[in-house]
Amino acid sequence: MLGMSRAGLAERWTLFVGALLSVALGVALVQSSLLLLISAATFDPPPGVSEAERMQISDGATAAVSMLGVVLGGAVFLAGFVISSTFAFTVDQRRRDLALLRLVGGGRGHVRRLLLGEALLLGLAGAGLGIPAGLQVMALQAWLMRRFEFVPEGFTGQWRMWILGVSFGTGILLAVAGVLVAARRAARVRPLEALRESGPAARVMTAGRWIAGLIFLGGALALMIVAPHGGPSGGVAMAMNVAMPASVAVVAFAPLLVPLIARLMPVGGGVLGSLARASVRDARRRSASVAAPLIVLVALVVGNTAAGVSFTASGVDELKRTTHADFVVEGRGPAGAVPGVAAVSTELALPGEVTYGEGEYEEVVGASVLVVDPAAYSAIHGTPVTLAGRTAVAGPGGDVPRVGPVRLRLPGGDLGELPVTGSVPAALSGGASLLLPRGLVPEAQLAEASAVSFVALEPGADRAAVRAALARTGPVSDLDDWLRADAATRDDTNRKVMLIVLGLGGLYALIGVVNAIVIGAATRRREFAEARVTGLTRGQVIRAALLEAYAVTGAGLVLGALAAGGAFIAVLATTSAVTGTANLDIPWTLVGGVVLVALTVTGLTSLITSWSATRRAPVTLLAARE
Amino acid sequence: MLAVGTSGPLLHSVFLMTTTLTTTSNAISLYGVSRVFGRGAAAVHAVDDVTLEFPRGGWTAVMGPSGSGKSTLLHCAAGLEKVDSGRVLLGDADLTAASDAELTALRRTRIGFVFQSFNLIGALTAEQNVALPLRLAGQRPRRADVRATLDAVGLADRARHKPRELSGGQQQRVAIARAMVTRPEVLFADEPTGALDSTAARTVLDLMRAMADAGQSIVMVTHDPGAAARADSVVFLRDGRVVDMLAGATAHQVADRLAEWER
Ligand SMILES: Nc1ncnc2c1ncn2[C@@H]1O[C@H](COP(=O)(O)OP(=O)(O)OP(=O)(O)O)[C@@H](O)[C@H]1O
Ligand SMILES: [Mg+2]
Repeated sequence: MLGMSRAGLAERWTLFVGALLSVALGVALVQSSLLLLISAATFDPPPGVSEAERMQISDGATAAVSMLGVVLGGAVFLAGFVISSTFAFTVDQRRRDLALLRLVGGGRGHVRRLLLGEALLLGLAGAGLGIPAGLQVMALQAWLMRRFEFVPEGFTGQWRMWILGVSFGTGILLAVAGVLVAARRAARVRPLEALRESGPAARVMTAGRWIAGLIFLGGALALMIVAPHGGPSGGVAMAMNVAMPASVAVVAFAPLLVPLIARLMPVGGGVLGSLARASVRDARRRSASVAAPLIVLVALVVGNTAAGVSFTASGVDELKRTTHADFVVEGRGPAGAVPGVAAVSTELALPGEVTYGEGEYEEVVGASVLVVDPAAYSAIHGTPVTLAGRTAVAGPGGDVPRVGPVRLRLPGGDLGELPVTGSVPAALSGGASLLLPRGLVPEAQLAEASAVSFVALEPGADRAAVRAALARTGPVSDLDDWLRADAATRDDTNRKVMLIVLGLGGLYALIGVVNAIVIGAATRRREFAEARVTGLTRGQVIRAALLEAYAVTGAGLVLGALAAGGAFIAVLATTSAVTGTANLDIPWTLVGGVVLVALTVTGLTSLITSWSATRRAPVTLLAARE
Repeated sequence: MLAVGTSGPLLHSVFLMTTTLTTTSNAISLYGVSRVFGRGAAAVHAVDDVTLEFPRGGWTAVMGPSGSGKSTLLHCAAGLEKVDSGRVLLGDADLTAASDAELTALRRTRIGFVFQSFNLIGALTAEQNVALPLRLAGQRPRRADVRATLDAVGLADRARHKPRELSGGQQQRVAIARAMVTRPEVLFADEPTGALDSTAARTVLDLMRAMADAGQSIVMVTHDPGAAARADSVVFLRDGRVVDMLAGATAHQVADRLAEWER
């Protein structure tokens, strides 16, 4: 069977280029992310840096490790998704070949073994390409991590010999797992299908599709319903995870939905338009295969970006409403002494390390600590804070326990065990993990802290005059401007992670689209030839194929928007529940960019493939009977 | 009464005749076979209560107007299409009761197919196509055997060519070689000359005549009275029913009779 697998691959290589590329990219990403993850986890800060810097570096490394974890998971999910849908589609396009094998005495096991053999070869070849490519990807990823300041200059990924085994294993596993479902389905091909020129279209909405679709739809709905009740951090996390199951659900129902929506696309009347429309309807499977990666692309990129932007904006709004201050002064100048100032809360921020829990459950997390004057903090932020002696209060970041003892280490000294006696409400935009009273931290350790003062004016005070006076103590900003800038810096890491992950997802989805179109065209040569002997010119055939590609792309974009809509609803519900005002910012430039890229890629691929599929004179194709 | 293929793990499967246990001299027998496509008002009785016996070692042609059910009858007789009622026997083995795995084993060992569109696997050479059924049966075919089979259809020098490098008549002869390599009890052919010109068709028919003379049972569907006249007997179908039979007729007689039934 392996011999036949090899012959099949050589003969129909155009069907497999896409699968090969996606295996190779999957292997490259898994290998690179894994190597970098280990390098980052074992990374030692260079000797001679201060303790504060060391804490920052290890904080960055922690963020890098979790980012790489997300990339690793994302790479496996997308590779699995693209590879299995590519295989499913190639198998579908080869039903006649497989039926023929059955006709001359091949059993179901033979069909399964043939496809598994192909997958095995593809997995090996994909890993062979992916391993050297992975080194390039690693250099790129390490560069991005240095540039985005997850890791200091001088950080590089380290090669490990055992990764060879992991990479080959990954390639084979991805390919073989990807083909399992398709092989099961293919084994049910009936021998008689070999005798029909165009076999009865295999049923597109299989029981498996219905079940998967309903399960993922249920998952998306559950996240949408629960997110508003998840509090700031839980709600955000859940809302950010709606797009994925929602898009998988829509993809599962794509064979039903795509033809329905493609019919509404304006592809024009005339004979070519109606030909394109008929093609979309007739080849539901092919249409769904092209639309599927687009659906995932739009849902993930637009849904998640909109969610991120909306939550940031909503967090800033929340802070604007809860912070009773007019100006923010950087530094620790004597802002309180300026005439016209009613209240000042000077807040000193320090990096730290918090340990909580006991024994096996002990956890050490990097944390940010804010040293405050409780009375002033209460007045400015509108929330009561009681801090006396050796106590701490859980801050708006909400990432340490709200009661119980914690151990706190700051640069330059261990503060020992502190009881957490209370908490301030968690904010959508996060913030400090712990609030400490001024007296607790030795003055020497505070020297390195960055300080800001929130300043509230007396009623009727002259804003301009006060501002001018404040400017002599340090740089002054309006509260709104400062909040926006602060949110942007704080979100920076998240945004960079999203950029890397979504960029990767987008790349994968585009490969998926190209795959589907190339496979579709490779098996359509005969259909094109028939159209030409019926009287269509080559140009008309190509134009009809292009119109069809546009109708399907349009449907994919609309359905992707539908899945992204699930995320939008979760965002609206969550921001409304957490901050009291529903908020949704849709990044229209990004939407425009995605639409443009999708149309360009599908258009170009369709043109190139149908052009090359119609290169030979139609008679030569119609005469060949294999 | 125990009639199973010669090899493979499916030996335990036993095809029992449920009625008479007399060993028949028929290669294929159909008893009251019907096949209906669709249901309700749209139902098509493609094969309608057909009882037919194809003798062992004989070459039978099946003729009839387009849509009369010839292909469906052939598919039912070969176990490719399930029947709605009636029974199909290959020798003494009941095909209508056989499982998918059992039918697969039969296709590998006791049944051969040739079709109008030659249905070769494009990725494989002529030689590899011919060897395929043996390899699927788990054997390691000897190159000499495969070459001998190709030689029998006059294509020894084309063993390493792929189907697209062969003419239509050559492709059909490779398909026949592939069907014959397992030495099947019955060869089914659906319009084997339908896509060939008259010279290529004659080569293929000569080949089949020689095989029939050597004792091969053949069931062949054809539109061509000339081809049908090469067979030992001709069965006429219309609307899914057997309406007539001829034995040892000339092409003229076959054509006249066909014209009658097509009126
Ligand atoms: N899979 C199918 N589904 C529905 N109807 C079918 C199917 N196969 C055959 N039929 C119908 O059964 C009838 C007999 O078809 P069949 O292919 O056996 O005819 P035929 O005699 O071989 O015709 P031709 O000479 O044109 O090949 C036809 O009316 C056809 O429409
Ligand atoms: Mg027919």
